[in-house]
Amino acid sequence: MPGTPDPAVAVESRGTGGGPVIELRALTKRYGDTVGIERLDVTVEAGEVFGLLGPNGAGKTTTLRCLVGLLGPTYGQVRVLGLDPLADHARLAPSIGYLPGELRLYPELTGQQTLDLLAALQGAPVPRQRELCERLALSRADLARPVGEYSRGMKQKLGLVQSLQHRPPVVVLDEPSEGLDPLVQETFYELLAEETAAGRTVLLSSHVLPEVQRTCGRVAIVRHGRLVTVRTVAELRQARARRVRLLLDDGHGARPLGAAERWSPRWDGPRVELLVPPDEVVAAVRDLLAEHPVADLTVEEAGLDEAFLDLYRSVSAEEHPNGNSLPEPEERP
Amino acid sequence: MNPGTVNRRFPLVWLALHRRRRMLLSLLFGMVVFETLIVVIAGTVPTGDLFGQRRTPPGAFKAFSGSNGDISIASYPGLLGAGLTHPFWIALQLTVIGSLGAAAVAADVESGTIELLMTRPVSRRRLLAERAGALVAATVLLNAAATLTLALGVASSAQLRAAVPLTAVLTAGLLGCALAFCLTGPVLAVSAVSRRRSHVIGAAVAFGAVGFALNFVALAWSPARPLRYLSPFHYYAPGDVLGHGGVPWLAFAVLLGVGLLGLAAAFWLLERRDLAV
Repeated sequence: MPGTPDPAVAVESRGTGGGPVIELRALTKRYGDTVGIERLDVTVEAGEVFGLLGPNGAGKTTTLRCLVGLLGPTYGQVRVLGLDPLADHARLAPSIGYLPGELRLYPELTGQQTLDLLAALQGAPVPRQRELCERLALSRADLARPVGEYSRGMKQKLGLVQSLQHRPPVVVLDEPSEGLDPLVQETFYELLAEETAAGRTVLLSSHVLPEVQRTCGRVAIVRHGRLVTVRTVAELRQARARRVRLLLDDGHGARPLGAAERWSPRWDGPRVELLVPPDEVVAAVRDLLAEHPVADLTVEEAGLDEAFLDLYRSVSAEEHPNGNSLPEPEERP
Repeated sequence: MNPGTVNRRFPLVWLALHRRRRMLLSLLFGMVVFETLIVVIAGTVPTGDLFGQRRTPPGAFKAFSGSNGDISIASYPGLLGAGLTHPFWIALQLTVIGSLGAAAVAADVESGTIELLMTRPVSRRRLLAERAGALVAATVLLNAAATLTLALGVASSAQLRAAVPLTAVLTAGLLGCALAFCLTGPVLAVSAVSRRRSHVIGAAVAFGAVGFALNFVALAWSPARPLRYLSPFHYYAPGDVLGHGGVPWLAFAVLLGVGLLGLAAAFWLLERRDLAV
């Protein structure tokens, strides 16, 4: 039943001895000289929806693939429900539902054949298959068509069904809402909420900050293969900078902005853009309005990349209070 | 669940064969037509006329009759042996081995579908065992089609029946299965380690074509004769089996042994690789 604690989850969770459901210790994965992920330490507790947030190429997918046993770590340790995803694959895999980031299906198979094939490989009943198909608007007619004729969104819906249809206690989702229309996204968020209510553990990766803010309790931010920080969503919201845009109508263009210079103004003719910490926005706007001929003003949440940079700078400042900058992590080619 | 759409006992075998069912049917049809033509030619054209009166074909042509000994292509066993050694026959075998060999692991890694399969309680051993099973089943089916067509042709022609015993046709068919298995093992090993289906298809073609060429050169040019032991086609001599009868146990042992070594290497390599790119 959606929304009620699942007794099977309690049984599975006992395997961890009350410890974290997912535990990554110094997880490192290299592809030759290229760093996939470097010394990642993360723990996810039972019943938590945990987000792995980062731009493309940050190492999110590599981390998730190590979690489900598709990749072996170069160094470090991965434990899911107390088991090693590679060595204990046969014992662990029945307890995991996985949605790959780039979902690839067999184009000749129908949707129903795809679900049945994956259920047969799962070797377990799929009590939620019909319910999930109905809720995600996959009709019988849709399921009777070859997957090769599906749109991106329909494939993603099929991917969500296969990842949840066997009621796994641990759900790993890589960019789960990619390609879903807003209505289906809402249903997906409801499903996630039900998973949490049933005591299941969800780890999802995303580069969409609002999605993570809406669905997750805690978030790990990774960039260039390294962990930037682990924060609760509330802390993340607090930390996220605001983008303040001003239009100055006196025709003088760029000029010193006094105290506001610390927010790295970027000029474009008479327009200027600043990234201001959220707790300083009101004071900043008041001062700017008082000191400059402002014709227009907008304030919005900064984009994800800027949020990363902002967080990155703040972490750097915390770790290197003397002004030494954090060494730039290795770039992925 | 809609029962009956997927074989629940061997889903990976079902998947491999279901996806290539049209190709397999086409190859089976092609094989039956080709062997029928061979039987018709053997039954209607006097063997002495094949190369003109008082002329004997070059020794290297034995490679095309599947013989290492005295079976000329201008004889009934040689001509029927050609039906089991002809480049067309080899091409059909390599198409099945290359296609299903690539599908065993490499094609799924290349396309990304491996992520869905291998995050289930499916061990790597099971993946390879089921995929190898599908490949062996397909090659046995193809060889069975060739053998049965030849057997029917021999059974229906008095002159062919007099020259070639039916049991020899069946033995030659089994030897064809052994050759296919000999090529299957190494091809699966390439599939287990590669992330590109083109590598596997290339390996299948290389093993088959280079093996055949090596045997041909060894038969045509005496200094190269020792090289024949390196070619699987040296051990695959259906012309000799059709001409002399008997069971070439050593040839069976070598062909199956190489196949098993390749298969063992495939299992070993697959356990030690990353399954995602």
